[in-house]
Amino acid sequence: MSRIAIALLLASGLAGPLKAETVAYVGATVHPVSGDAIEDGILLVRDGRIEDIGADVEIPDDARTEDLSGLHLYPGLIHAGTVLGLTEISSVPGTQDTTEMGQVNAAIRAEVAVNHDSMLFAPNVAGGLLTAHVVPQGGLIRGTSAAISLSGWNWEEMTLAAPVGMHVAFPRSAAENEDDDDLSLIDEVLDQARSWSRAMTAWRDGNASRPRNNDQYAALEPVLEGEVPVFLHTQGERDMNAALDWANRQGFERIVLVGGPDLQHLADRLALEDIPAILNSVYTMPPRAWEPYDEAYVAASNLAEAGVRFAITDGGSAFNAGNARHITFQAGMAAAFGLDSETALKTVTLWPAEIIGMGEELGSLETGKRATFFAATGDALEVTTQIQRAWIDGEEYDLSRDRQRQLYERYRERPRR
Amino acid sequence: MKKMKLLVLTLAVAMGPGLAGAHDIEAWNSPVPEQPDHVLIRNATVWTADEAGILENTDILIRRGEIRRIGEDLRAPRGSVEIDAEGRHVTPGLIDAHSHAAMLGGVNEMSLISTAMVEARDIVDADSINIYRQMAGGLTTMHLMHGSANAIGGQNVIAKLRWGADPADMIIDDAPGTIKFALGENPKQSNWQPDTLRYPQTRHGVAQVIDEKFQMARDYAEQHEAHTGRAARNRVPPRRDLEMEALVAILEGDIEVHSHGYRADEFLALMRTAEAHDFRIKAFHHVLEGYKVADEIAEHGAGASTFSDWWGFKYEARDAIPYNAALMHDRGVQVSINSDNPELARRMNLEVAKAVRYGNMDEHEALKMVTANAADQLGIGHRTGRLREGLDADLVIWSDHPLSVYSRPDQTWIDGRAYFDRERDLQQREAWEAERQELIALVRESENGEDDDEEQADDDEVPDEDEPGMQVFRQIMGGA
Repeated sequence: MSRIAIALLLASGLAGPLKAETVAYVGATVHPVSGDAIEDGILLVRDGRIEDIGADVEIPDDARTEDLSGLHLYPGLIHAGTVLGLTEISSVPGTQDTTEMGQVNAAIRAEVAVNHDSMLFAPNVAGGLLTAHVVPQGGLIRGTSAAISLSGWNWEEMTLAAPVGMHVAFPRSAAENEDDDDLSLIDEVLDQARSWSRAMTAWRDGNASRPRNNDQYAALEPVLEGEVPVFLHTQGERDMNAALDWANRQGFERIVLVGGPDLQHLADRLALEDIPAILNSVYTMPPRAWEPYDEAYVAASNLAEAGVRFAITDGGSAFNAGNARHITFQAGMAAAFGLDSETALKTVTLWPAEIIGMGEELGSLETGKRATFFAATGDALEVTTQIQRAWIDGEEYDLSRDRQRQLYERYRERPRR
Repeated sequence: MKKMKLLVLTLAVAMGPGLAGAHDIEAWNSPVPEQPDHVLIRNATVWTADEAGILENTDILIRRGEIRRIGEDLRAPRGSVEIDAEGRHVTPGLIDAHSHAAMLGGVNEMSLISTAMVEARDIVDADSINIYRQMAGGLTTMHLMHGSANAIGGQNVIAKLRWGADPADMIIDDAPGTIKFALGENPKQSNWQPDTLRYPQTRHGVAQVIDEKFQMARDYAEQHEAHTGRAARNRVPPRRDLEMEALVAILEGDIEVHSHGYRADEFLALMRTAEAHDFRIKAFHHVLEGYKVADEIAEHGAGASTFSDWWGFKYEARDAIPYNAALMHDRGVQVSINSDNPELARRMNLEVAKAVRYGNMDEHEALKMVTANAADQLGIGHRTGRLREGLDADLVIWSDHPLSVYSRPDQTWIDGRAYFDRERDLQQREAWEAERQELIALVRESENGEDDDEEQADDDEVPDEDEPGMQVFRQIMGGA
């Protein structure tokens, strides 16, 4: 079986079960994200997938009807880079599986350590975050990430796609030094992986004996073949440019550039070379003392203007994982500083879906996509909006699982002294 | 909510050249802005954070830094600076009840379990760029606090964000003294490896040591009282002790206690200790489980200054819920929202908006949590925190509804001076960049100097999560 077939099998085999039912969601203002909002729209869901969407959808006889009048329907939020599922309480080391030791961990797979009963999941679902790209941290070659649904009975059910990408941290010092030790190490590992891959091919063709097994090289093989994209994690503008030059030299065809507000200084290059990006946080200080106060706020707008496809995240640290749901507010801040609000919504729904290879499945409300969406009292980017219900693959999520709400309800009922 | 375009009206032009004058990205060469005799803000939606509530189409008249009148169709005195704020919203300047934003390092003197004698006023950093950036987010006052490494920390200071002023001139001089206490994981040193272990290592140890310190302070006060008049004539005076003097000032009500804490049990313990020594806790900070003992906090008379939604980053934050502010408010606790972080402090309006999202709090009540309530907790309600006649003209003109994610401060006024003006900021960027390039060229010319592109922006110990030790302690453990 070819590696491509294996990868596809993984993707489909791990996809969670879809609920067998037909439901018509009526009365809400439906925001497909891929198109204009539909007032009093109808969303028809069959067996966990969107069958139809519009103002005049014919509702079949066997459909159950859910009245969502007064609410707004949005596709589930997608976090493009988080350690959700790999962390519980960041100050308690025993609850941390975010960061492996060592510099080269290509064979690490994030999905296998996702704790499906993490207490962090339900509050995030209650905030409309229904899909996450879980990314391992630490070292230079960090391993592969996974797209997970925030609901499931184990990590296999939660995993929508894996591997989504190989994560490489471009060494901070390499932009100024072509003999940088860390970059040399990455180059060396990649060269060895190529050699190993040639040896494996020779064996597969019956021309050589089987090379010794090596998990690291085996994990890098689909990356070198272009089947798995490289997510390049970078710091400042010079690193970003150097990282892209390096990736070109390496011959990587599918790259996602991950970084802070300096991404905006590469906007034209990213657009020209058609490289998508993950903007690590709008809520961050300007990287340099002399920069305008809104340097980080306007980054998204500058990227969008140049035509770059990008996702907005909160940086994805363990500290942020509990509130990964609040990426909408970061997108909203970008909107206050020049990004139009429809594009801002895309940066936390459709664009992250596309960047993590789930564009056909998630990120917008379109026929054929997964019925993964939430109902809110208003504009999804507004802080004052309340999220009332959420569905993942057509199944309504029981928000009473949210321990924060449980505590709220319990103490609201405390008899007054 | 529809995103509003910034009104084309350039306020800098409207205010005349005096106010639009040189204003720099560095404090040391930014003169304190002129204080006009009269400023009239017209036709705004005014959020008073006071009993008057939210007033539509309302004017605010400022006279030499003081709010003179709030009403409809006010007459502009001759020579007034007039601002057309139609379509925009005005709120009091925002107040951050818990900040470490402009302090010259050393936020934590963590050597002893009690360091009541150290004072934050000694390390105010008037040149911190955080002052300008926070002001651009509508903040006008901050409570600069000692760290949380000790049960009884140092004395704090309350400063206005007077960009360009000397440290001493930033400090609100008629504010009461405040002191930082801390409970839980930080003072008991659970989450980092200190060089030397220090008593206590448990919550009951923290409670015990605070109780003992106040017993010592009462003994100290008695000794000094006894050493007066005739009795003192032929006796060696008791030794002066700065720590004890601070604690005696707490007992006498001259210094108010603001205590960091997370768990319900420890709030109860501190309140009972204080009551036993006949004083009251002014406010619990962070107070993430405040909702569990809200009635007890209200009964004691303490305020609560919480994070809007931080949770789960340390074990004692496991039961932190974003409904906390609303729940405590419902039980009659006066609640404020604090930042504990100079970046977060740039959007406190959105932090209070979370109480609307999570607790159905009324929007005006929510805004009070970062204006009037914070001012009252800090004992500066007689000066600022509300839009009311007679108070300082500390206010923000917002482009839109102040709790909207699409809103942005257009101007921030402190003492009737326009310290931040977005139009002016935008206009001056080119000049700043030209000057920077000029300076870089000069440096390169003179010494073939290093490119300084990677200089760190922040002089306020922005925590680097890769770095072990106290910086991680401050960021990851949540709340110094």
